[in-house]
Amino acid sequence: MAEEILEMKSIIKDFPGVRALDHVNFTLEKGEILALVGENGAGKSTLMKVLSGVWPYPTYEGDIYLDDQLVRFDNTREAEEAGIGIIHQELNLLPDLSVAENIFLDRHPLNKFGGIKWEQLYDNAAKMLSRLNMNIDPRIELGDLTVGKQQMVEIAKALSLDTRILVFDEPTSALTESEINELFTVINELRASGVSIIYISHKMEEIKEIADSVVVLRDGSTIGDKIKIDQVTLDEIITRMVGRDINDLFPNHDFDRGEKTLEVKNISVPDPFNPEKKLVDDVSFSAYKGEILGISGLMGAGRTELVNAIFGVYGKKSEGEVYLNGEKLKIKAPADAINNGIALVTEDRKELGLLLDKNLVMNMTLPSIKKFSSKLAMDNHAERAVTEKYVNELNIKTPGLDVFVEKLSGGNQQKVVIGKWLITDSDVLILDEPTRGIDVGAKTEVYRLMNQLVKQGVTVIMISSELPEIMGMSDRIVVMSEGKKTAELDRSEADQETIMKYATGNKGVE
Amino acid sequence: MKKFIKNNGTFIALIFLIIILSFLSPSFLSSRNLTNLVRQVTINGIIAVGMTMVILLAGIDLSVGSVVGLSAVTVTLLMQAGFGMWLAILITLVGIGGIIGFFNGFMSAKFDIHPFIITLGVMTIARGLSLVLTQGVSVPVTNSTFASIGSGYIAKLPSLIILVVALALGIWAVFKTSIEIKNGEKVRNKAKLTGGIILSLVGFVSGFLIFIGYQGIPIPVAIFVVIVMIGIYTLQKTRFGRKLYAIGGNEKVAWLSGINILKSKTMVFVITGVLSAASGILLASRLNGASPNLGDGFELDAIASVIIGGTSFMGGVGTITGTVIGAIIIGVINNGMSLLGINTFYQMIVKGFIIILAVMIDVLNRRETA
Repeated sequence: MAEEILEMKSIIKDFPGVRALDHVNFTLEKGEILALVGENGAGKSTLMKVLSGVWPYPTYEGDIYLDDQLVRFDNTREAEEAGIGIIHQELNLLPDLSVAENIFLDRHPLNKFGGIKWEQLYDNAAKMLSRLNMNIDPRIELGDLTVGKQQMVEIAKALSLDTRILVFDEPTSALTESEINELFTVINELRASGVSIIYISHKMEEIKEIADSVVVLRDGSTIGDKIKIDQVTLDEIITRMVGRDINDLFPNHDFDRGEKTLEVKNISVPDPFNPEKKLVDDVSFSAYKGEILGISGLMGAGRTELVNAIFGVYGKKSEGEVYLNGEKLKIKAPADAINNGIALVTEDRKELGLLLDKNLVMNMTLPSIKKFSSKLAMDNHAERAVTEKYVNELNIKTPGLDVFVEKLSGGNQQKVVIGKWLITDSDVLILDEPTRGIDVGAKTEVYRLMNQLVKQGVTVIMISSELPEIMGMSDRIVVMSEGKKTAELDRSEADQETIMKYATGNKGVE
Repeated sequence: MKKFIKNNGTFIALIFLIIILSFLSPSFLSSRNLTNLVRQVTINGIIAVGMTMVILLAGIDLSVGSVVGLSAVTVTLLMQAGFGMWLAILITLVGIGGIIGFFNGFMSAKFDIHPFIITLGVMTIARGLSLVLTQGVSVPVTNSTFASIGSGYIAKLPSLIILVVALALGIWAVFKTSIEIKNGEKVRNKAKLTGGIILSLVGFVSGFLIFIGYQGIPIPVAIFVVIVMIGIYTLQKTRFGRKLYAIGGNEKVAWLSGINILKSKTMVFVITGVLSAASGILLASRLNGASPNLGDGFELDAIASVIIGGTSFMGGVGTITGTVIGAIIIGVINNGMSLLGINTFYQMIVKGFIIILAVMIDVLNRRETA
């Protein structure tokens, strides 16, 4: 029996309105690689934030034992000093500084006058990098390295802090195949040298390859005990991840599929930070009048990028063809998509959907201002009338039309964004995570609205990370994984396990 | 009442300033002085109208002062070369103002370079061009009709008619805009109506006392008023104005909502360039000649007017009415201090503090309401 280095006991973390972690327990042994898996929002990141001092005690309940000693970190610094390091999905480095400076950020070796001993700094950095068998010149600017090499620098930085527990949060999402292999070699070497590793990933194949054991989180709780990886099948892990019933949140609707409206062919979007990688890789699909097409996948699967490409967000940088009602469209910017009858309800309503310090009228008529104006003047009465109509129809709770939308609740803000696109009277309505961050009541209203639109002959496409939502609402489901379309399922053949299998890139049952 | 003071802070400050100055210097309120004051304001005011739109987009245009200089020089030289007055004016407006504005807007929007940098470069280039064209010396205006634009007046009787028509239009506009839709019904906002009518009457009476009491409405003032009216209408009522507020509010959201950012931004800089050129032409006419250093530092007064007038430097919030008040405040301060015999060097210091004060008040106000 290996010695236990970390134990997290009965961890509870509440956010306003939700319990993000509910009595989570797990242990980590010396030199163990533990995979932590779960759906988006299952609580993995929150748990790691508790461990690394981002959430200090007593903002959480429960106890953390390090080498059988109770520890309570006030900040991330204390956690670092205790030997806990995290390699985030988004690297935490400064691209304009040298590799060595990044590794020893504010821990430069200094001479008597407070000047930096550069030679010693570079020597120390080279030593750290050679521990990882990395042949990187510590003098070059970090920004000149590939993403994979940058990640190695981040690991070297963690090792320079005498890290004993290293957390990897989705480390391979931006890496190429060969970079992943390199990373795994390093991780195995770290294990051999006694470092314990917590490995967070959506990708089942990877977990099977690298991890010793696995803990599953679902809705903030651990599902079952820690299991050795060779005593469990991928299917069993997936079942633990999703095992939920679809409740009756979703209003029933009958589908009456009409003619084909939208067809997209061979959409590709390059990764701006890694030219060898594609965020969306050759995706094609069709959507029909009178149906809801769901797009499922895990975070980083390229779903948002796919619909953005259709909407013209990337201009000439994305490839592929978009047909609407059999006609090929030329879309170079969102304006072209809108003029052709395609609307996109963006995921991030605060940054991309709303003019927060403007009123409801201005927000809701923005994409269709042409309808409310002659060459010379806006028709203020007409636009107010339409805004009022949609405020009533969508049941938007607001003290008036002249209120700034930042004053509204999240659910009502989301309805404003949806309303703004409904006013455009588009043939195709794409919704990217339309129910994120809004309460259950508002969710149901959004679902009803979608059904109503379908009945009116609108083609609705919905991206969602919530499996029950995807399954409850869609007629057909496109599943994506790592930029590729991995499956197109009919409502009848889609269950949570199947979707999750394709979403994790596991071809499984074919 | 508290809300009224908050929303009209700069206007109230202006009134106070006028009252204080009228006590300190008896000649301040004379028709002659006020007519001159308003005429001085127009040169900066015309530029500030364009600058308001630029800052609404969270941009800046540093080149306006140099465009004033280059336009003044160009129009003068063109007339010397034998071009007719109107043709010379047209060529200057389009060839100098329009093209420089297009360059500023297109370069900054197309290549996503902050307009501060583009217009800083253009500011130097345009100034250099003025110096090259004039060989560094002043050039005189040779056309006598041209001189009358900047220093002429509309005769008293037509001036009176214009004021009466303006009053009628003002009251009509107040009647139209004070109707609001509440719960689907049209309701008249009584406070807005009476406030608007009082303001129109005050405007009429002061216009009467200032201009009819002296020599009539100065031509530059009439031009300025027309530009302001068109500006206000553009921002408040047109699709183009709506787009500017949207882009200034959140450029990404505006773009995703189908707005052509490049077109709107370029247009705004073109407008500002043309207005600066107009200002330069008026200045050359008034001074009866052009020196290559004309307009030096004008960008600062224009920016100050916009900021004092309550336009947010972050973009998306602001009005031309506010800018006009800001421009008048600056004009009153310059004029008042000159009357009081304060050295122009001190005037600069005072103006600087007032800009900072205006922004401070604005920031504090906003923090309170947030």
